Amino acid sequence: MPLAQTSTTVPVIVNDDLCIADKGCTVCVDVCPLDVLRIVETDEGNKTAFMKYDECWYCMPCEADCPTGAVTVNLPYLLK
Amino acid sequence: MSALFEEFDDISELAEGLDDPAPGARIMAIIDLTDSADPAAIPYLAKAISDEDAGVRKQAAQGLTDFDGPETAAALVIALSDTDPAVVEAAAISLKELKDPSAGDSILPHLSDEDEIKLAACFAGIKELRRPETMGPAIAALKHSSDIVRIEAVGVIGWLQDETSLPALRDAAHDATPKVRRTALSALGFSKSEHAEATLIEALNDSEWIVREAAAETLAKTGGAGCVTALRSVLDDEFWQVRLKAVRSLGKLGATEAAMEIGPMMDLPVPNLRKECAAVLGELAVPETAPFLQKYEDDTDPDVRKNVRWALGKMAA
Amino acid sequence: MDEILDGLTQIDCDILVIGGGTAGPMAALKAKRKNPKANVVLLDKANVKRSGAISMGMDGLNNSVIPGYATPEQYTKEITIANDGICDQAAVYRYAQECYGIIEELDEFGIRFQKDENGEYDVKKVHHIGTYVLPMPNGDTVKKALYRQLRKARINIINRYMSTRLLTGEGRVAGAICVNTRTAEFLVVRAKAVIMGLGAAGRLGLPTSGYLMGTYENPTNSGEGYSMAYHAGAGLANLECYQINPLIKDYNGPACAYVAGPMGGYTANAKGERFIECDYWSGQMMQEFYDELQGGKGPVYLKLNHLAEETVSEIERVLHIVERPTRGHFHAGRGTDYRKQMIEMHISEIGFCSGHSASGVFVDEHARTTIPGLYAAGDMANVPHNYMLGAFTNGAFAGLDAADFIADVDFAAFDEGEVEAERNRVLAPTKRDDGIPPNQIEYKTRRLVNDYLQPPKVTAKMELAQKRFEEVRDDMEQGMYVQDSHELMRALEASSILDCADMAAAASLYRTESRWGLYHNRVEYERDNENWFCHTILTKGEDGKPAHRKQDVKPYVVEIADEEKDAYDKQRVDPSVAAE
Repeated sequence: MPLAQTSTTVPVIVNDDLCIADKGCTVCVDVCPLDVLRIVETDEGNKTAFMKYDECWYCMPCEADCPTGAVTVNLPYLLK
Repeated sequence: MSALFEEFDDISELAEGLDDPAPGARIMAIIDLTDSADPAAIPYLAKAISDEDAGVRKQAAQGLTDFDGPETAAALVIALSDTDPAVVEAAAISLKELKDPSAGDSILPHLSDEDEIKLAACFAGIKELRRPETMGPAIAALKHSSDIVRIEAVGVIGWLQDETSLPALRDAAHDATPKVRRTALSALGFSKSEHAEATLIEALNDSEWIVREAAAETLAKTGGAGCVTALRSVLDDEFWQVRLKAVRSLGKLGATEAAMEIGPMMDLPVPNLRKECAAVLGELAVPETAPFLQKYEDDTDPDVRKNVRWALGKMAA
Repeated sequence: MDEILDGLTQIDCDILVIGGGTAGPMAALKAKRKNPKANVVLLDKANVKRSGAISMGMDGLNNSVIPGYATPEQYTKEITIANDGICDQAAVYRYAQECYGIIEELDEFGIRFQKDENGEYDVKKVHHIGTYVLPMPNGDTVKKALYRQLRKARINIINRYMSTRLLTGEGRVAGAICVNTRTAEFLVVRAKAVIMGLGAAGRLGLPTSGYLMGTYENPTNSGEGYSMAYHAGAGLANLECYQINPLIKDYNGPACAYVAGPMGGYTANAKGERFIECDYWSGQMMQEFYDELQGGKGPVYLKLNHLAEETVSEIERVLHIVERPTRGHFHAGRGTDYRKQMIEMHISEIGFCSGHSASGVFVDEHARTTIPGLYAAGDMANVPHNYMLGAFTNGAFAGLDAADFIADVDFAAFDEGEVEAERNRVLAPTKRDDGIPPNQIEYKTRRLVNDYLQPPKVTAKMELAQKRFEEVRDDMEQGMYVQDSHELMRALEASSILDCADMAAAASLYRTESRWGLYHNRVEYERDNENWFCHTILTKGEDGKPAHRKQDVKPYVVEIADEEKDAYDKQRVDPSVAAE
């Protein structure tokens, strides 16, 4: 049974300009209870956090603990 | 395999990150220092309060929430004068988390500052440390033009629980701002003086219901001769919140003479009030009020029903 | 990160605490303080800094027993009545006696409780005769304060390891098998005592939004504690007493009538009329809620729009800052303002959670399970209605007792073959080339839970559920496929969820009576005190399926008079006494 690729919008948005993952920051990735965030290298060669898995409890530690205010938690579309 | 346990790093090693030219790296160093929960980190965090980058300063002010003592307080007070409002806000929040009375040493010299935000934050920070030296500056601050400052100053006085502060609190109970009046009236609760009681009784006629509510609630604590009559006079206040506190206070004061007036209030259509009336009628246990309760022995409101049955049990006993 | 690595490490410790949320940290701290030489390890599937039900904080205590406001006797009575009499009071009574000490300790940690203008505790609400609600003005800092204490006490913390099975031997606990959620490497922990604080089974039913993680409970609390206790042979009590809550529709967070109630807010029907008098969460309250919806008088709402501006802004301040801070965003997105509109509510999906009901691993007043050396506390242990303060307090009991237990024992020998068997079970989905992803196994399980297990409970439907669950289990064991270690964590959670679904069906079928209002409303059976005034204990039977037995309710410590027993029975508003 091969797997399909189905798109989904994700509730956690990271502002690449503010994110300091380049400096080794992993605060949002560390605090997420569901472990849905990861660090990725952008096209410009900088690192930034992003939501890899659509499994968000909209609980907010990532937004609250981000040292630069780069993270915004929206409500998942299905329930907002 | 990656490290299994969370590490307990050497503080001076963690602090090396504060010398990194990139602000992001310095922020990370502050987070690591904070997570250490080691008081040896305080001097480094205090130094970072004067960092050139506002983000670093804010993180340092937040990080200091996890520490205590004069050095922490001194750094936070400096941050209250920061040019960035986010740093000031973080410092104000952290100041309120101080527990160690010695931290007050660093706040005391700043209790006559002009800046209202700084002054309010200093009073809020030192309130729970209960330093007697705060009394003078707090009383002086009751004349401050900012009501934020006046509310915090009243808070400080109330926590000190000192009868000599009575005249000042009575003045504050006549402040132009309702929230200052409310705070001052609640603060009077520690006093056994008849002047405090007179002020509270007078406030039962205040134009604002939140002020009358605070007065009705606090009268249970002072408990002098005139309280009961005064509280009985507001059993028909237009706000049920005020009536509820009056009933509660009459219960606490054991005012059996009010029981026959509370009894008929069981018929009012306000659930919270009925629950409270039933409980208080039980506390007063005046047998003549039983008929007011018996009607509601099977009330549909479980809280009312339980309180009613409990109250009737008390009367039977 | 996330690739699947091959690895196995073994470590030893005196006390292994699984779960770093609420009960776990307190257990670890108490054990370490009582025996500073003990090697205490605290392990969490997430990061202890922000894990568990109170990840973002809590707005207050709703079961604080503070001298002068309530007595342990009153509290024990209230909880016994709220739980329909099925309650071993010793654990509740001990909690009620000792929770004030825990409040003072938390206050020292920097977790603040509201004080009045003279610095005395400001106990807010009279929801029964006693007064139990104590607001927490800086409730958003709870986890941070706990974390700081753990660091100071030098507790060994292991993050991002998920325990999958307990090890037992010599008739007691021997340790646990764990797997790294980011590398799939294994960790075997040998321990003389194990304390479980793994939270509720909060991902059992499917929220009506259809979003898998849109649950009431933190979705990391997916029932591992229940599943591990079951497979280790421990007894689980009264699982049929589900958790079902009145929540804000779609948002699926608490409406918090206990915050709004004392200030005049209440639950209303579509006409804005009160139909239940008591907003304290109980099975009977949920039954009335259900009846109102079935009777065509819904939707049901949280009504605040009749309150004074000062009151509404105070309620907003409390509700929107802590516990679920996105609640403000949600209302803003919908354009709802407490001042103008009522807030639509609904009935939540089912779960196991003793924090609000009574479904949990059986424990006594020392938090001991039926397996020596194994403890449980918090939402997963069966001390009824114990909420956050119960998790802290019972966690403390577990830590204190475990510190004594380890003094007299060495490691129990266990069968090494169990480790190998567990590795094969866990890694099976990584060995296939394709198959069913865990989210589909989970979705189907949870959708079936809604279809067949959500009360009112019907025998034929629950039997169908059991059949369907078996089919899903077969698919899971033979055909589940994961691509990375993160998905492997979800696969393991799917397995716990399915175990809990099986237990929910089995436990509900066993108790052939109705009790606890909607929680165990079996339409074919009336309440039957003669045969069912008892606990039901579920264990893993010889055949690997749930087995059941009845267990007597221990004689009460605090007597309940007959006329008090129906306190939670009748809750419907009498129309002749109209609400304001």
